[in-house]
Amino acid sequence: MATEVVIPMLGVTVEKGKVVEWLKEENDSVEKGESIFVVEADKVTTEVESPATGVLAKILLPPGEEVPVLSVIAIITDPGEAMPAEYLGEGGRAKLAEPASAAEPVKTSSPVESTGVTGSTFSGPIKVVPAARKLAKDRAIALQSVCATGPGETITHKDILTHKDTGKTEQSQNISTLARRKAEAEGVSLDGAQGTGVRGRVMVADLAGGKLPATQTLGQGRAAADFDPEFGKVIPMDGMRSTIAKRLTSSAFTAPHVAFYSDIHMDPLLAYRKAILPQFEQKFGIRPSVNDFLLKAVALTIREYPMLNAMLKDDEIHVLPSINVGLAVAIPNGLVVPALTDVDQQGISETAAQRKELTGRALKGQLTLEEMDRGTFTVSSLAQFDVTFFTSILNPPQSGILSVGKTRDELSLNDGAVIVKKVATMGVAVDHRIIDGVMAAGFIQTLKAKLENPAFTFMHC
Amino acid sequence: MREITYCDALNEALRECMTEDENVVLLGEDIGSYGGIFQVTKGLQDEFGAERIVDVPIAEAGFVGAAVGAALTGMRPVVEIMFIDFTTVCMDMIINQAAKMRYMFGGKGSVPMVLRTNIGAGRGTAAQHSQSFHSIFAHIPGLVVVAPSGPYEAKGLLAEAIKNDNPVIFVEHKRLYMTKGEVPEESYRIPFGKAEIKRAGEDITIVATHALVGASLEAAEIAAKDGISVEVIDPRTLAPLDKDTILTSVKKTGRLIVADEGHKTCGFASEITAIAAEEAIEYLKAPVIRNASPDVPVPFSPPLEKAFMFGKDEILESIKKVIAYA
Repeated sequence: MATEVVIPMLGVTVEKGKVVEWLKEENDSVEKGESIFVVEADKVTTEVESPATGVLAKILLPPGEEVPVLSVIAIITDPGEAMPAEYLGEGGRAKLAEPASAAEPVKTSSPVESTGVTGSTFSGPIKVVPAARKLAKDRAIALQSVCATGPGETITHKDILTHKDTGKTEQSQNISTLARRKAEAEGVSLDGAQGTGVRGRVMVADLAGGKLPATQTLGQGRAAADFDPEFGKVIPMDGMRSTIAKRLTSSAFTAPHVAFYSDIHMDPLLAYRKAILPQFEQKFGIRPSVNDFLLKAVALTIREYPMLNAMLKDDEIHVLPSINVGLAVAIPNGLVVPALTDVDQQGISETAAQRKELTGRALKGQLTLEEMDRGTFTVSSLAQFDVTFFTSILNPPQSGILSVGKTRDELSLNDGAVIVKKVATMGVAVDHRIIDGVMAAGFIQTLKAKLENPAFTFMHC
Repeated sequence: MREITYCDALNEALRECMTEDENVVLLGEDIGSYGGIFQVTKGLQDEFGAERIVDVPIAEAGFVGAAVGAALTGMRPVVEIMFIDFTTVCMDMIINQAAKMRYMFGGKGSVPMVLRTNIGAGRGTAAQHSQSFHSIFAHIPGLVVVAPSGPYEAKGLLAEAIKNDNPVIFVEHKRLYMTKGEVPEESYRIPFGKAEIKRAGEDITIVATHALVGASLEAAEIAAKDGISVEVIDPRTLAPLDKDTILTSVKKTGRLIVADEGHKTCGFASEITAIAAEEAIEYLKAPVIRNASPDVPVPFSPPLEKAFMFGKDEILESIKKVIAYA
């Protein structure tokens, strides 16, 4: 049976990828798990393994062309099997996946061709002023695709600021889903229509007025964007939002959640961190956050409670060998959970370095799927907010998640004297199918003991 | 406020410092009864006597050396070198002696002297009386290099120079001596290493020295009519240099022009450009332009000297060039 080879999902926010190099040629035999091509997306290159054993019958996408993720780019057939007819059409081109964005092109022009044009007309090094180069990097804009207006065809800062995907604006139309639906229902043609939404997006409001303005102003009509009198404001779910929705629904309605809270005395850890900070920073060149100690203490506690590192698969409980602790990171419009690897075996400096690197890339939307998938336990902290404690939903298929509330001042008795203590309430939510209350209580109690005696806990770190 | 000339502002600073501190003495060629070639010391000998306003022979190495010695004993000599061109004959005293002693004596001695001199072409004084090699001194650790751009700066910076315990090369500008500006009657000092933002702007930073501060302000005014917002920064001292003010501005505007009358190669303009390249490269939206003197001796022929000179118009050209990088 023929197997489709696709550009893999390379991260929650990655929409496109391209083949840098084919490691196999047509008619080569391939083994499942063997690397067959190198893919690049968001400046990350990754080798991709063959999904099946057989013959690489047809390569549909040559190197260098960028296509949406999940596009079919090659076909693997069983030895001796004929190439299925459905892949023989379209001149042997890649079968493109729908772009993740809600806007759908009206005129069918292949995005492959449009990106190919901008890529191939370019020759010689691109001239670009440094500020523009940096901005382009920050916004992940390919310099090849930018129209240069500066002296000697230099790309200026403004060129990047005003850069749009030329392939889209020139060759396809930007129409809101709602407007399209309504236009179809009413039999209105949208050919050549320019809307009032962002980047000329045709909105329902444009249809309702009966006339479509010929020109558009950037930013104008933002208030009208996706507003429909019937539905109110309509926000199409992007890839990340639907992933979050799907996963949390599945978790909440599959795993019975139960949570256990404990008050952790934070003064010892805060004092410990403060005491080692200057020399630590000098020696390791990195500033460990309270979270780094927390991640490490969690990993050490998981070692004593390996069930918290387990997951339920069908009728089996899999206790995972590596303790990879994920840290929930809020990013614009969503949340990602990159996981630090083998936290129990690493020093605080390595934990801090991993955490810093991962959260940095998380904010830029440059995480790989692997980095988000490898977690075996999650820490979710709202300590910077005025939130005393909160419940969390498990990050499936994990079985434990720690929620961390703010650190607050609390009065306490010490040898008959009233003192002020720093206290944080932390809670562990577990999958009650495989973790009993006593075990979860033991976990949070052990974590508390570790955090309250940092000198011993981090003695070897 | 009253307006006085750059020359009178310098004279006033000298008078105030001499009145206040008897250790302040002046040495120079024709500075006594003649009042100095640019009349900066006019009337001071009548007021303070020939003991404190000393006319010296034409022997720069000798009288600058004398000033270094006097400064070491605790006096505060102010020497005048008629043109910066003549400092070449006393470079050993300046670079090897004055600039080094505080370091080599482990801080046990200091050289609180001021060497006043001037730069600038445009007066038909040819190749040996028109040079602008002030940046040479900024290259030497141990020297303070001051570049007053107007009468207000002239008075406040000279007072600071005389009271400063380090050797100060106080570089005046020939074309500025007769320009007028507001100067307070009371004494004041302008701290070293503190640049002044002469005009605030958003699109382009111009770092200018001496007479080119005024030229830059004129150019900025004209550019403003085309909607180009230019920030003009006067560093006031080349050493120590207020890098923070310059870099903050460059990071804001992303476009830098440096206007300095020194030769282009290895000049002060090059230094500012290098700092921007080293510490603010990712903010630059356009090439940096150095408006500096050509790498040739200053010509005597008036038409050629005119071709050598630059000012408002050339700065405006530069503004147009950098703003083309939107």
